[in-house]
Amino acid sequence: MNYHLRESLAQMRGNATATLSTFITMTLTLLILGFVVLLTFNVDRTLSQLESQVEIAAFLSDGADGKALAKQVRNLSPVTDVRLVSKEEVLSEMQRDYPYTKDAVELTGNPFPATLRLKVAHVEDSREVAGLVGQMKGVEDVEYGAGYVDQTVKTLSTIRTGGYGLVALLLIGTLFNILNAVRVAIYARRHEISVMRLLGATPGFIRTPHLIEGVLLGLLAGLLASGLLAPAYLYLARQVDLLVPLLPTITDLATISPVLLGLLLLGALVGLLGSLFATQRYLRELE
Amino acid sequence: MIEFRNVNLDYPGHAAALSNIQLFIGKGEFVYLVGQSGAGKSSFMNLIIKRHLPTQGEVLVGGVPLSRYRGAATAGLRRQIGMVFQDNRLLPHLNVFDNVAFALRVTGVPQREWQTRVLGALRTVGVEDKRTAWPLQLSQGEQQRVAIARAIVGEPLLLLADEPTGNLDPENSREVVKVLQHVNLRGTTVLVATHARELVESYRHRTITLRQGRLVRDDPHGGYQL
Repeated sequence: MNYHLRESLAQMRGNATATLSTFITMTLTLLILGFVVLLTFNVDRTLSQLESQVEIAAFLSDGADGKALAKQVRNLSPVTDVRLVSKEEVLSEMQRDYPYTKDAVELTGNPFPATLRLKVAHVEDSREVAGLVGQMKGVEDVEYGAGYVDQTVKTLSTIRTGGYGLVALLLIGTLFNILNAVRVAIYARRHEISVMRLLGATPGFIRTPHLIEGVLLGLLAGLLASGLLAPAYLYLARQVDLLVPLLPTITDLATISPVLLGLLLLGALVGLLGSLFATQRYLRELE
Repeated sequence: MIEFRNVNLDYPGHAAALSNIQLFIGKGEFVYLVGQSGAGKSSFMNLIIKRHLPTQGEVLVGGVPLSRYRGAATAGLRRQIGMVFQDNRLLPHLNVFDNVAFALRVTGVPQREWQTRVLGALRTVGVEDKRTAWPLQLSQGEQQRVAIARAIVGEPLLLLADEPTGNLDPENSREVVKVLQHVNLRGTTVLVATHARELVESYRHRTITLRQGRLVRDDPHGGYQL
């Protein structure tokens, strides 16, 4: 093992340019991946907060059977909670929040309809549920803050998808970088490799230093990416907190640590896969 | 030890490298393989170490067809065969001891055995005192001896030498052949591809002659005749 480790370190030193280029690309990729993952966690937390706050209001026509409608709505699978609010309760809420409505009521009577207030498990189901409830007999109108909810979900999902797309491209780029670095190393060792083959070295023995090189590079890149990500993210989260205190930013280590560890392992895995592929392909070329 | 059964070898786009070769080399023999450049000597050697497989026919080493060796088994086959080349192929970044020990390292021989075996091999070829020297500090003859030491340190059953004296002056060439004979006396089968007439005439052994890929002469008493 010492021999293989020494060989891989010597290879990395011997091909410093290719090694450094792979290392930098890999570090940046893992760093961006870490950011995207943490961003996704924040997006998910924001979405679940939205979900817990968003209500759909179904306004009932006069004379509609509110209890029967509430039962019907409760049977819809995305609905988690239904509450029937009578005309009088709505009026008293309105008078509490907007005292001037008292004057208007004296002139026109209670203009507010009885209302069903529902919550859904996932905020993206709001539109569908609102559509279904709106078609029910006895329901005059439905409101669910369509513009606000739809737009928020769309924006957050786009950010998440775009981030993952970028990371996928960067990971492919990193793999090609590793392939190139290992290819250069194999080419530099071609004389030694041909001697090894003739002396009876197994393919595994010849391949091992290159695999170690890939894993080492991946681990080091993962370590550096984690080391940079943690303080940078926490700083950014604090700034966002100051600017938009309502956003539920993630700053607890219990959530962040697995991401950092994941970057380390992913770095090693990508390094291993890249060098496995490269050795299989390029050692065959030397045959 | 080595058997060629109706062997043909073609390289795509070229004339046949070997045609209908049929021969047997027994255990413990010392055999010269002679012929002009392009006669097929290297192709013959490459078939034995399974660098190539015959286009037709079968090559057997130790009674086993080479087509049966795959992957790690090919490595196992090569551990039974020592190879020496005209250009010696020593690793310039390793000293003499480490070059010879390299053969033990890559085949997984425990490190505690290296000292005894490497020094034994260097003693056999007469360069024990050069063990700390670097290849470039040695003469061509000494380099070739080190290459032979590396080839025999694994105690192979068969030693193949492809033009081992090609880069050497007559004096060093004779010394190298003497070393190869010494290795042969210890029981190793030795096959030497060469076009050095004076050596083949001076140190007579069975001689196989190839011409344009065909076996044209197999003389058990030796002698150089193309």
